[in-house]
Amino acid sequence: MNKRKLALLLLLGSVLPAGSEAQIKHIEMRVEGMT
Amino acid sequence: MQQHLGRQDGVQKVDVSLLDGKVQVTLKEDGRVDPARLIKAVYDSGVTVAEMDVTARGHIVKDSAGGIALQTQPNQSFAIVPNDLSKSLESLAGTPAQVTVRGELYKKPAGKKKPDPNAPLRLLILEVVKKEP
Repeated sequence: MNKRKLALLLLLGSVLPAGSEAQIKHIEMRVEGMT
Repeated sequence: MQQHLGRQDGVQKVDVSLLDGKVQVTLKEDGRVDPARLIKAVYDSGVTVAEMDVTARGHIVKDSAGGIALQTQPNQSFAIVPNDLSKSLESLAGTPAQVTVRGELYKKPAGKKKPDPNAPLRLLILEVVKKEP
């Protein structure tokens, strides 16, 4: 495996899991007392 | 209120609808936001939060009280209020499976009881959107 392929694999390995991380995706609130 | 919320960590954009009192919070991609701080920020701006709903993805873990919790970050988890939907997640506790759920994280106490913005947030699951083994 040449260095370019290895670099690409490392890059994908660091980017792909970030997109599937556990996290809060969306928040919606209902508020009272706004004028 | 919009400015107070917009200054919080993890918040990208805040949309407020004056007609129905709905506030949509768009989060940054890392999703590192503390809902309790958002509630406090709203209170600090002189407005009361009636409800907060979230959509979140995470692991199911056992909590110290013997129930289950949704862990959304290594240092952030929300105790899950037991209901029929939460029962279907109990078997996933401690496994690497991830779930995406929609739920109510905060609701203003009924009656004239004064809301406590510092009360611990508990997640009442309204919908299990996705289970990923």
